[in-house]
Amino acid sequence: MLEIKNLNVSIGDSHILRGLSLNVSAGEIHAIMGPNGSGKSTLAQVIAGHDDYKVSSGTVTYNEQDLLDLDPEERAREGIFLGFQYPVEIPGVNNAYLLKAAVNAKRKHQGLTEIDAFEFLKLAKEKMALLDMDPKFLNRGVNEGFSGGEKKRNEILQMAMLEPSLAILDETDSGLDIDALRAVAEGVNALRSPDRAIVLVTHYQRLLDYVEPDFVHVLSEGRIARSGDKSLALQLEEKGYDWVREAANG
Amino acid sequence: MKSAALSIDTLREAIASLPTKHQEDWKYTDLSPIAHVGNQWLDRGAEFASSSDIPDAGLQIQQWIDAEWLVVVNGAINEQSLAAMNQPGVNVTRRNDSTGVLERNTPLDDLNAALSDDGLCICVSANTEIERPIGLLIIDGFDSPAGMSAVRIEIDLAAGSQARFVEYHTSSGAADHYANSVISLKLGDASRADYVRIQDREKNHHQTSRMSVNLGCDSEFKHCAFDFGGKLVRNDLNVDIANAGATATFDGLYLAGGHQHIDNHTRTDHRVGPARSHQEYRGILTGNAQCVWNGKAIVHDGADGTDAEQANHNLLLSASAEIDAKPELEIYADDVKCSHGTTIGQLDETALFYLRTRGLSKHEAMQVLTRAFAHAIVSKSPIDSLHGVLTEKIANRLSGLMQEADK
Repeated sequence: MLEIKNLNVSIGDSHILRGLSLNVSAGEIHAIMGPNGSGKSTLAQVIAGHDDYKVSSGTVTYNEQDLLDLDPEERAREGIFLGFQYPVEIPGVNNAYLLKAAVNAKRKHQGLTEIDAFEFLKLAKEKMALLDMDPKFLNRGVNEGFSGGEKKRNEILQMAMLEPSLAILDETDSGLDIDALRAVAEGVNALRSPDRAIVLVTHYQRLLDYVEPDFVHVLSEGRIARSGDKSLALQLEEKGYDWVREAANG
Repeated sequence: MKSAALSIDTLREAIASLPTKHQEDWKYTDLSPIAHVGNQWLDRGAEFASSSDIPDAGLQIQQWIDAEWLVVVNGAINEQSLAAMNQPGVNVTRRNDSTGVLERNTPLDDLNAALSDDGLCICVSANTEIERPIGLLIIDGFDSPAGMSAVRIEIDLAAGSQARFVEYHTSSGAADHYANSVISLKLGDASRADYVRIQDREKNHHQTSRMSVNLGCDSEFKHCAFDFGGKLVRNDLNVDIANAGATATFDGLYLAGGHQHIDNHTRTDHRVGPARSHQEYRGILTGNAQCVWNGKAIVHDGADGTDAEQANHNLLLSASAEIDAKPELEIYADDVKCSHGTTIGQLDETALFYLRTRGLSKHEAMQVLTRAFAHAIVSKSPIDSLHGVLTEKIANRLSGLMQEADK
């Protein structure tokens, strides 16, 4: 589904990703771990199409298309979803409005008719119940005045409504209390399916207690230093990131 | 409408006496295009419109917005609308005595008086509540020979009364036109006025409007202004608080592109306390538009307990758009709460990217963000029945501005 080859990316003067390669297939859950500054968020932003990040070499192929050729909105409509580490507050834009516009943008792209208002509300309330979210959030400004946990739940709600083929969740677990973490994990697990891939970008092993990954990759200095199964995350938790760095350099 | 008693010479003199950019209050607004329109019109013989028939565009507005409409066409009061006015508790009279209705404070008032010796006086009886808005439709241009027009309205709310007003300025026509309006609003003790002003003039037409408001004890004034059109537009709103317990809220939105120049000047005189004045103006500019917001609040000696708040926020969608934002606070009393804040910026890139990652095109994302920015003012507008109309007008104007910004 997603094939990244020898990717080099800079922002401003800093060269962040240095020859990163990664393959993600449908049905898989990948966890990307690594210390601060290793390039985890950069990778997420590049896949979503942020144009502050400049790709100097390498390729990113998504379902046999050159992903780097597409605008962020085209990527979204093709089924890529980025859950933001810091979801943006947009005062004055109604949460329900955005959800509906997002769902319809994708439906239009797929040649489907717009979702009708009743169907939309029913679906949204169903997904919100799963995430333990008050339906009142639908009528609030997007993330406006939401707590950290509410913002992250809102990201998962958007993901649940959009049913992406490839979801990248950038530190969705950071700053969550245990209840919110469970709700978010439940939302992610509900999306697990043979035709969908999920990439969890995370600093800690904590989320992986609730969402079991098929593969764990450790990012260090802009490339994948080590890959393994879920036991790698536990090893990291025990030995710290220096262990990977030393192993990579040694 | 002008009677024969007023002379071309008086007009020429009034035009020659218009303020210049050397005066502090006019630093950013050059009235010479208005003088030019006036002088050309005088040279052509200063013909006034002979008919006060309401053009189709005016009839549409009357259908679109529910109100008891009084209509002024090219400066001439439409008699039928005056005769049809039938609101118990509201008395509308014509004030066409040659002395002029209002006191003259500025050269623009003098020009108003030189252009017209006709006026309206709207009186609301004590302790009455008028639910249906009173509409003031000021409409210019269309098929008449363009030139200058003026309207003068005095509104008097007796003690304990409540009324709502919609002042709608519109114009059309290829020939340049200048419209001058002077409105005075007096609020009696414990009265309340909800007031919305909408300006949607032709892109080659000019306007100056001046509104002066006097607030009685415990009275409440809510004003919201929307400027969409016009080429050179200057609005003055002067709020005078000489009685304790008064509250004034005045907000505004200006959307400008091309070579539009929209200037909103407010002046608030706090003469006694406790009293409150809060204002928030917002603007979205593109192309070579130049806008001005100047909010002056003077808290006079002894006006303790004054609460004055000013805010002005602007979105600039092009590199060549310009906003001159100037809060001015002069405080001569001790126990006051005053604040002001001004922001000038572009659309939030992070929010744009966020919306695009949810599948909205860049264009849609820009529309969503600009509408949200503008909606903050609509939601403050005191006449709920107008929100739909305003939202629609804003969406239309913004999509025009976006197209301009895309070029």
